[in-house]
Amino acid sequence: MNHQDVVAQLVDIVTPMAEGRVANITADTGLTGELAFDSLKVMDLMLAVEDHFDISVPVNALADIRTVGELATLIETVAGKHA
Amino acid sequence: MRENPRLQAVRAVRQELATLGIDPFGTQIDEIITPTEGLIHGRRTILAGTNNYLGLTFDADTIGAAREALDHAGTGTTGSRMANGSYAGHRALETELAEYYGKRDGIVFSTGYQANLGMISALAGPGDTVMIDADSHASIYDGCKLSGADTIRFRHNDAADLGKRLRRLGDKAAGTLVVVEGVYSMLGDRAPLREFVDVAKQYGAVLMVDEAHSLGVLGAKGRGVAEEAGVLDEVDYIVGTFSKSLGNTGGFCVGDSADMDVLRYASRPYVFTASLPPATIAATRQALRKLAAADDLRQRLRENAERLHAGLAKLGFRLGAAPNAVVAVLAGEKLEALRFWDHLLKQGVYVNVMVPPATPSDESLLRCSVSAAHTPAQIDAICAAFASWPGARV
Repeated sequence: MNHQDVVAQLVDIVTPMAEGRVANITADTGLTGELAFDSLKVMDLMLAVEDHFDISVPVNALADIRTVGELATLIETVAGKHA
Repeated sequence: MRENPRLQAVRAVRQELATLGIDPFGTQIDEIITPTEGLIHGRRTILAGTNNYLGLTFDADTIGAAREALDHAGTGTTGSRMANGSYAGHRALETELAEYYGKRDGIVFSTGYQANLGMISALAGPGDTVMIDADSHASIYDGCKLSGADTIRFRHNDAADLGKRLRRLGDKAAGTLVVVEGVYSMLGDRAPLREFVDVAKQYGAVLMVDEAHSLGVLGAKGRGVAEEAGVLDEVDYIVGTFSKSLGNTGGFCVGDSADMDVLRYASRPYVFTASLPPATIAATRQALRKLAAADDLRQRLRENAERLHAGLAKLGFRLGAAPNAVVAVLAGEKLEALRFWDHLLKQGVYVNVMVPPATPSDESLLRCSVSAAHTPAQIDAICAAFASWPGARV
């Protein structure tokens, strides 16, 4: 699975949670910025992401994540460790 | 000096509350009249938001013990136990806590918050993983931060979800610290401890249970959800606080591990803070002696909790959990919840209001903590205040 695949799957997870705030979600879309996800929403997102990719992402790894693309990179890193 | 931009978000919330003329986070109780009554804004007010579960704050024996310690040992210890010495009472309390729980040893911390900080950061470090319930108290999250370990959340009260995450850890699952709470403070719901114990055992994980809101309240001798669920012997570490049912301040951990001997020396929140004053230790020891035999208080607390729960349910309110010492009313959107809280205060009832993201969902909560010291008439008055809310039952 390459980076674009991860981003595409992530967009599919994020879109129904975004409640139409952003019409076209891309790798550059900000999670806490444009999408205005608060900490509860980010937690729900991460639980869904973890189930989808069968990984566990440490809370402390999320501190520097701003965009969908950055989260995709983190998922790839964590999935690599699990493999 | 210019305002610190880091405080901008907090300042905005304070400004919003000031505009509304409602300040639930700065409530001042001008005078405490009884464990369940105080003077707020010049009005006699029923206190239903204080976590004084057994109503022991005015217990005559406890006050007597504190007074005697004050007279004989002075106001404070003026230092850390490691650097400046323990008083005999500190160690005696640790032994008594361990005996009460049937555990090998105990450690006393200066607050419940520090007990979680101190235990988690001593048991885990960089390169380790700590698994915590997603709805954990801030002290558990902060303990994880202080530890430097990777922190992984599992779904609230979901032992199968914990199992899934332990499985993903592979060989590293053995020895991983898992932290749950007996009763969750926001909604008052209990953890399925039997299930958590089974999953932790399956993977060789270490289980720590924070019984802050269940000590004194649940279990035949008041030893919390672990006692109620029959797993007291199978939980590795139990953490708790003196600031709720024991009516004082302070925290502790008890456990059977051989590490209990050295844990305190590896715990910065234990080492680098002042120890509890003699009066606090003496009063807590006295209150602890009462706890095991407080069947009558626990019975009264149960009856009060059931009365409040049934009364609010009958009024059409949605409640957070089954009857327990914490009865939480789901109160919808933030502004409405703040106005509801203010209405209750003006009716002479003080409860807690919790707003997202401090709540487990995007709903606000009006959280009542029930006391054994509440009279049935006070419980009915709390229900009547809720009934008088002109807004919608959300």
